[in-house]
Amino acid sequence: MTAANAAAWVCLALPLAATGSIALAGTRLSRRGAGYVSTLTTFGSFAAALVAFARLLAEPAGARASTSTSWTWLAAGPYRFGLTLLTDQLSVTMMLVVAGVGALIIAYSLGYMEGADEERRYFAYMSLFVFSMLLLVQAGSLLLLLAGWGMVGLSSYLLIGFHQERPAAIAAAKKAFVMNAVGDATMALALFLLVEQTGRLDDAGVFAAAPHGGTVANLVALGLLGGAVAKSAQIPLHTWLPDAMEGPTPVSALIHAATMVTAGVYLIVRLHPLFENAYLVEDLAAGLGAATLVMAGLIALVQTDIKRVIAYSTMSQIGYMFVGAASRAYPNGIFHLVTHAFFKALLFLAAGIAIHALSGEQDIRRMRGIGRTMPHTRRAFLVGSLALVGIPPFAGFFSKDSILAATIDRGAFGAVLLACGLLGTFLTGLYAFRLYFVVFGGEGDARPHLHGRAEGPPSMVSTVTVLAGLSAVGGFLQLAPVWTPLTTWLAPVAPPFAEPSGAHEAIASAAAVALGLAGIAVAYRLYAVAGARVPRPWAVLEHKLYWDELYDLLLARPADRLARGLGRFVEQLLVAGSIGEVARGFQLGGAEVSRMQNGLVRAYALALAGGVAVLALVFLSTR
Amino acid sequence: MHGPDVLWYLVLAAILFVTGALGVLVRRSPLIILLSVEIMLNGANLALISFARRSGHADGQVFAIAVMAVAASEVVVGLGLIVAMGRRRLQLDVDTLRTLRG
Repeated sequence: MTAANAAAWVCLALPLAATGSIALAGTRLSRRGAGYVSTLTTFGSFAAALVAFARLLAEPAGARASTSTSWTWLAAGPYRFGLTLLTDQLSVTMMLVVAGVGALIIAYSLGYMEGADEERRYFAYMSLFVFSMLLLVQAGSLLLLLAGWGMVGLSSYLLIGFHQERPAAIAAAKKAFVMNAVGDATMALALFLLVEQTGRLDDAGVFAAAPHGGTVANLVALGLLGGAVAKSAQIPLHTWLPDAMEGPTPVSALIHAATMVTAGVYLIVRLHPLFENAYLVEDLAAGLGAATLVMAGLIALVQTDIKRVIAYSTMSQIGYMFVGAASRAYPNGIFHLVTHAFFKALLFLAAGIAIHALSGEQDIRRMRGIGRTMPHTRRAFLVGSLALVGIPPFAGFFSKDSILAATIDRGAFGAVLLACGLLGTFLTGLYAFRLYFVVFGGEGDARPHLHGRAEGPPSMVSTVTVLAGLSAVGGFLQLAPVWTPLTTWLAPVAPPFAEPSGAHEAIASAAAVALGLAGIAVAYRLYAVAGARVPRPWAVLEHKLYWDELYDLLLARPADRLARGLGRFVEQLLVAGSIGEVARGFQLGGAEVSRMQNGLVRAYALALAGGVAVLALVFLSTR
Repeated sequence: MHGPDVLWYLVLAAILFVTGALGVLVRRSPLIILLSVEIMLNGANLALISFARRSGHADGQVFAIAVMAVAASEVVVGLGLIVAMGRRRLQLDVDTLRTLRG
């Protein structure tokens, strides 16, 4: 085991230890104490990830990937699956993002959740989530990856339903869990096919033996795509994400913006050989991403809940990542994943400060005018919005535009993707700055409750500041094609299919920035200028394009009707009916038999004597 | 071996047992039924002792003593019940005591 592997194990074990100790300590640990345990262990995880990163950096590029197996986890017949961690460039990158952003958000929660009931449970769940996500990104075999995948879904369910006294939160948690379970199921089916075809589930073995082309390869990729689409809230399994905003705001920031929902992108990049074997599914993934990014951008225009707007924006940005990863521009997809984690967490946390100061108010029409009293939050939100739209030099500019550039080489389909992406940048500018101008820009009568001079507890303000800094400068990780350390770093794991040329990068950047600025300008005209006529939103957008209604009509109601029908005809007639008949038979039989008990002692004695006589005769005659 | 053959004792035991059983079956007074039960027990005891004599083991005799102890206790309980019935001026006829019929 190398030092990098050891660091990876530490990184994975720390959050689990935090969950266990908070759960076991119970009330012996103070509420604050639970928060500190959770925060410190997650920062410890981040430190371990940094150590692993430094160790990998010291190795030559070809020798950085290594696996380490602690014990055999499952042995069934000829199959043996170990508890194997894979430490390579991609997993370390994800570890840094998950543990780093996770630690910041958990630290933020110290202030946000202070005084809430059941703080301990919250922090135990948060640590459990970080552990699950780390397991997902570090898994050395597809089986372990599936385990992490499911555990992430579980902790997401627990955290969305954290406010268990609210029926809406419980419904949202169930919805998220069920939709994710659909994805888990398709993914499990894909793994069954892989085991049947190759007999293995470790990454390298599967990649070497997986079928190239043909129905099986397509089915495998389709199943994996199903999992990715469900976890990343892309069409058609996206409807759970907006509802998931019922969870506490830091949860939305950590799970439903920065880390978990990007797991689908990670999956496509990690298993890119399987997707490359099935180019039709790759195109499908890109198409779904493009459709989602436009659709979510449109819906975000009319939502009035600040968190839901950011949630749709997340869907839209993950659409970009899908387009990038499915266009085989893997480093670009991961790059956008990283920067998105920074600026989306920033947007959520800044929104969280505002919500916190307004005692839970989330309706942007009633948050109007909060910017005057909360200048720091306003600036942070502005940085996040600029990064989201992709205005240079903020982070989104570098990552989003390189995804768009990667679609240019891909012929007619690429042109469609590019068009969707460019439309998306315009929509992004529009909805992001609608939010900014309405909440922070305008004159309004929202009165935040500020204690003292700060806009929030120090843990909240400081983490938002750090994330604002990362959103401002995080993009300089890479400026293709001049400065490409991330592409070089990831090249051994996920080599990009084609590097976009400098000209393409320039064209894509110019177009995207121009459209983003146009979106901002339109938003300014519509929402910032006093007295401007705000267009009435289309009903179809307010209803989120009727996806929920469609699923209700196609799935929920037929299932409900089927269950009712089965209840009436099978349950009542067959099941309950048969049991009732059996009971009635025993009743009648018992009534008959009870007549023999006539109370005449001498009759009983005669029966005894007769019985003994019969027995005696039987014995005598058979001896 | 002295005395009559063991078979005759068994015949006597059977006669006693059947007499008692008939008494239990045909008489209606609880007192007489109790007496008949005692006769049945004694028939059984006689059979036990006869077999014990024939086999040369003492087991049957031990059983007979145990049966006597049981019979004594049974008589106590039975007579007690009958006295209680008499005290409550119930009719001393087992056929009229039918409250336990189903």
